[in-house]
Amino acid sequence: MTEKFFDEINDLKSDVITFSWFAEQMLKNSIEALINLDKNLAKDVKKRKKELVQTSYQIEEKIFSIIALYQPVARDMRTVVCSLGVVNAAERIGTYGKDIANIVRDFPERPHIENLVSIPHMADLVIDIIGDTINSYELEDISLLAKLSERDDVVDSLKRSIFRECITYMMEDPRNIAICTHYVMIGRYLERSADHACRVAEKVHYMVTGERVEIK
Amino acid sequence: MTENVEILQIKNLNLWYGETQALKNINMTFIDRQVTALIGPSGCGKSTLLRCLNRMNDIVNECRVDGTIDFNGKDILHNNTDPVEIRRKIGMVFQKPNPFPKTIFENVAYGPRVHGINERKELERIVEESLKHAALWDEVKDRLSESAMGLSGGQQQRLCIARTLAVEPEVILMDEPCSALDPIATSKIENLIDVLKQDYCVIIVTHNMQQASRVSDSTAFMYLGDLIEFAPTRQIFENPKQELTENYITGRFG
Repeated sequence: MTEKFFDEINDLKSDVITFSWFAEQMLKNSIEALINLDKNLAKDVKKRKKELVQTSYQIEEKIFSIIALYQPVARDMRTVVCSLGVVNAAERIGTYGKDIANIVRDFPERPHIENLVSIPHMADLVIDIIGDTINSYELEDISLLAKLSERDDVVDSLKRSIFRECITYMMEDPRNIAICTHYVMIGRYLERSADHACRVAEKVHYMVTGERVEIK
Repeated sequence: MTENVEILQIKNLNLWYGETQALKNINMTFIDRQVTALIGPSGCGKSTLLRCLNRMNDIVNECRVDGTIDFNGKDILHNNTDPVEIRRKIGMVFQKPNPFPKTIFENVAYGPRVHGINERKELERIVEESLKHAALWDEVKDRLSESAMGLSGGQQQRLCIARTLAVEPEVILMDEPCSALDPIATSKIENLIDVLKQDYCVIIVTHNMQQASRVSDSTAFMYLGDLIEFAPTRQIFENPKQELTENYITGRFG
């Protein structure tokens, strides 16, 4: 392969990394907007959705052209395949950020119930999982992914406990129903985001080692 | 499911051209009804290895070989082994198509005749079957008495394959069989290799790595006379175990 090909692969990787942090930032900011009920920040996150979609298209195009023009093999092939997986997952995660921002925009003018149940804590865990996954892609270092399965289990149980807690508040007072429904949805978005990060982690593992693993 | 039959076993093969050692302690096994590709940079020994398999190095001056190549219980390299018999069982197709300056029919009938078949009907049957097997019959059946030199490059190459098949070999060696052909002729040969492997063991030397990945079941990577890695083709191109292999197939060499 030519130098040009190696440049293209390096460019691709740096584009994917920048894009992943962009998506991570959307999710992170949407949670900040939620905690502070900051409708301006929510609006701003929502605006970024367009760029998210356009950039993911551009990176996909780049990947298709690398495959068509160079037919990479071995580690190069694995890097390209993994990059495609990272882009798709990041696009989903950014979109969940937009969905949470939408909820904040429509939020009733009243304070949070019970300090937002476990959502801020759950969001921290999810954002950490996403960050470690992006770093593992960038550094091609799978040691960052060692405890991912256990960390994802914690996220899953938090989602279930948010659900149960919200049911209690809804039964106590029907005026809580609207807000608690939002909390349940947000719990679900965060849990899905962590799942996407785990799928990416599997692809990073494949990129680095050539072996496929399942992260449950 | 057919069993994997080990048809050729190379053991401790070393080869020198004068003072230069071209093959260094090669050990490998070829499986019947599979395609094995030999890849590696120029001068790595892949063609030399291929030529050992039917004693083509006998005619090279100053070439010294030791080790054994077991084929049906016989050592190909042993002095008592008849190279003519070996070359009938282990046929070869070369880089450039090299038909005899004879008719298409005579090109294919030549081998069987040399081996003592003279009856016209039998020769006609062999020629038709060989040409069919080489996917050339439909293109030449009405011009068997014309000169083979009038065929296109791709047709000539398939004629050479038919000529190899006419003497009922067990193994077919191919030394860059497509490097002189255009993409369409190349894909015909590749399709043919896929059909041939149902009945023969095919061993192909190629510089075209995509060709190796398309046609072969196993791939051997050689470098400076050493066999570096020999594994299922998918493994070589998806997840090679040796860094040298990885560097070669991804073009990070030198």
